[in-house]
Amino acid sequence: MTTAATRTTTYAWIALCAITILSWWLAPAHGHGEPVGPSMPITVAVIALGFIKGRMIIRYFMEVRTAPRWIKLATDAWLVVLWAAVLAIYLV
Amino acid sequence: MSSAVSTESAARPVDPGARPAGKRDVWIVFWIVPAFYTAFGIIFFALARVMPPPRPDVTTDQMAHFFHAHATTIQIGFGILVLIVGGAGVANGIVVYHIKRMTVGSVLGYAYMGSLAVGALPGCLLVAFCFLTAVYRPDRDPQLLALLYDLGLLSYVGSLGCFTTAWFAFAIAILYDRNQIFPKWLAYVTVWQIVTEILAIPVFVSKAGPFAWNGSIAFWVGTVVFGFWLSCLIVFLKKANDLQPADEAPLP
Amino acid sequence: MTNTDQTASDLDIAGPSHSAARPVHMPGDGAMWVMVLGDFIIFGSYFVIFMIYRAMAPHEFLESQQHLNLNVGALNTLVLLTSSWFVARSVQAVRAGDHSRGLRLTYLGGLCGVLFIVIKAYEWTAKVAAGYTMPSNQFFMFYYMLTGVHLFHVGLGLLILGIVVRELRNPRRRRLSMVESGATYWHMVDLLWIVIFALLYVMR
Repeated sequence: MTTAATRTTTYAWIALCAITILSWWLAPAHGHGEPVGPSMPITVAVIALGFIKGRMIIRYFMEVRTAPRWIKLATDAWLVVLWAAVLAIYLV
Repeated sequence: MSSAVSTESAARPVDPGARPAGKRDVWIVFWIVPAFYTAFGIIFFALARVMPPPRPDVTTDQMAHFFHAHATTIQIGFGILVLIVGGAGVANGIVVYHIKRMTVGSVLGYAYMGSLAVGALPGCLLVAFCFLTAVYRPDRDPQLLALLYDLGLLSYVGSLGCFTTAWFAFAIAILYDRNQIFPKWLAYVTVWQIVTEILAIPVFVSKAGPFAWNGSIAFWVGTVVFGFWLSCLIVFLKKANDLQPADEAPLP
Repeated sequence: MTNTDQTASDLDIAGPSHSAARPVHMPGDGAMWVMVLGDFIIFGSYFVIFMIYRAMAPHEFLESQQHLNLNVGALNTLVLLTSSWFVARSVQAVRAGDHSRGLRLTYLGGLCGVLFIVIKAYEWTAKVAAGYTMPSNQFFMFYYMLTGVHLFHVGLGLLILGIVVRELRNPRRRRLSMVESGATYWHMVDLLWIVIFALLYVMR
C-alpha cells in the first residue's frame, strides 16, 4: 500500500536519517584520541539541524501539518523558544 | 489515617425529604482539601522554612545556625502540622471516594490510599519530627543537629517511591474510567508527577547543583509541577462533586 | 480510498473540517496533546537548565562529552527514527482499514523500542565499567538523568504501544483515535531523544 501519504512519510524518515548521519560526522566524540575543541559554527549548525529535525517529526510523523491551528502554533512556539534559548545561552 | 472518615460519611444515604444541595457530607470533606493544603503551604514555606529547603552544601555550624535562627517558627509550624496532618488522609480519602465511583472498581483507589498512607511518614512527618527534635534542646551538639538536618531534608525531598505508586494508580484509574469522573488529561498531569519524582533520585548523591535537594531540577521544577497538579486536582474534585447526582446510591 | 485525511471506514473522527484542500484533523484525542505539550515544556526546562550549567563549565562539559559513545548514540537515534517511521505508517494503514498491516507495523515499532532499550543498557554498562558514573561530574549526572528519564518515557511508550496492539487485535474496537494517540506519544519520545542527542552527544 504505497500512497502519496506513505511516500511522504518515508521521504521524511530518509531525510531525518541523513541529517542524523551528518550530525554524527560533526560530533566531537570520535575517539581518535586528540581532544576536540569547541566550535561555534558547528554548534550553530547542530542547533539548526535539531530545530529542523524536530519540526519534521512534528509535521510529518505527528501529522501536525493537517492538525488544528492551535497545535501548529503551540508546537512551533515550543521549538522556537527551546532552540533560541539553547542558542542564546551557548553564545552568551 | 482517616480514610474511614469519607467512606463512612459517603455511605449515609441522602434524606429524600430534605432539599439536597449535592451531597452535603462530601462537600464538607471537599473543603477540607484546599484548607489543609493552604495550611500546609504556610507551614512549610513561611514557618518551618523547608520550602525552599536550606542548602545541603553548608558547614555543620551553618546547619546549627539554621535551627537556632528558626527555632520558634519551626516549633509553631510543625507543632500545628502534627496536629492537622490527618487532613492529608482526608484529602486522599475524597480522591479514593471518587475513584470508587469510576468503572475501574476499588482496587486502584486502595492502591492510591495505601501508598500515600505509607508516604506520609517520610513525606512530611519525618522532617517535622527531625526539626522539632533539633530545636527541642537549644544546646544540642552541632553534629547531631547536622544529622537531623540531613535526615529531615533527604526524607522530605527524596521520598519518591510511595508517591510514584499512588500517581501510577491514579493515572491508570482515570484513563480506564468510563464514567468520566475526572478528565483524561489529569491522568497525564499525574504522569508528570512521576517524571519529577524520577528526576529527584540524585538528591541522595548531589550536594549542590540542579540535582541537589534544593536544586532547580530536583526541587523547583518538581514543586511547580506539583502546585499545578494540586490546583487541577482541587478544581476537578469540586467539579466531580458538582456533577454527582444528589441522590446517587451510596457506594459499597 | 487511501486518502490520508479522510477516515472512511473508521468509527472515530476527531473534528475534521472540510474547508481547505487538506482537511483539518486532530491526531488522537486532546488529552494526549496536553501530555505531549506539557512534557515538551517540562523537558524544555531541563534542557535549558542543562545549557546554563554547561555555560558555567564549558571545558569540563566538552571534555566529558568526548567520553560518550557517539556511534552508539547515533545508532540509537536511527533506531528510534525508524520506530517512529513504522508507527506513523501503522496509523496510515489503520486509517485505510488495513488493520493487520497496522498491527504488524506497530509490532515493528515496538521492537525498535526494545532494541533502543537494549542498546542503551549496553551503553550505560560500558560507561559505568569505564568509571563514569552519576557522581563523576555535573555532565555525567545530566547524562544519566536525562537519558534515564527518557528511557522511562520509552518504557511507558512500549506500554502504550501494547495497548494499541490490544486495540487493533480486537475487531470490536480498533478506534483510530486510540491508535493516533499512541503514535503521537511515541513520536514525542523520538523527538525528545533528538534533542538529547544534539545537546549531549553532538554540540560543541
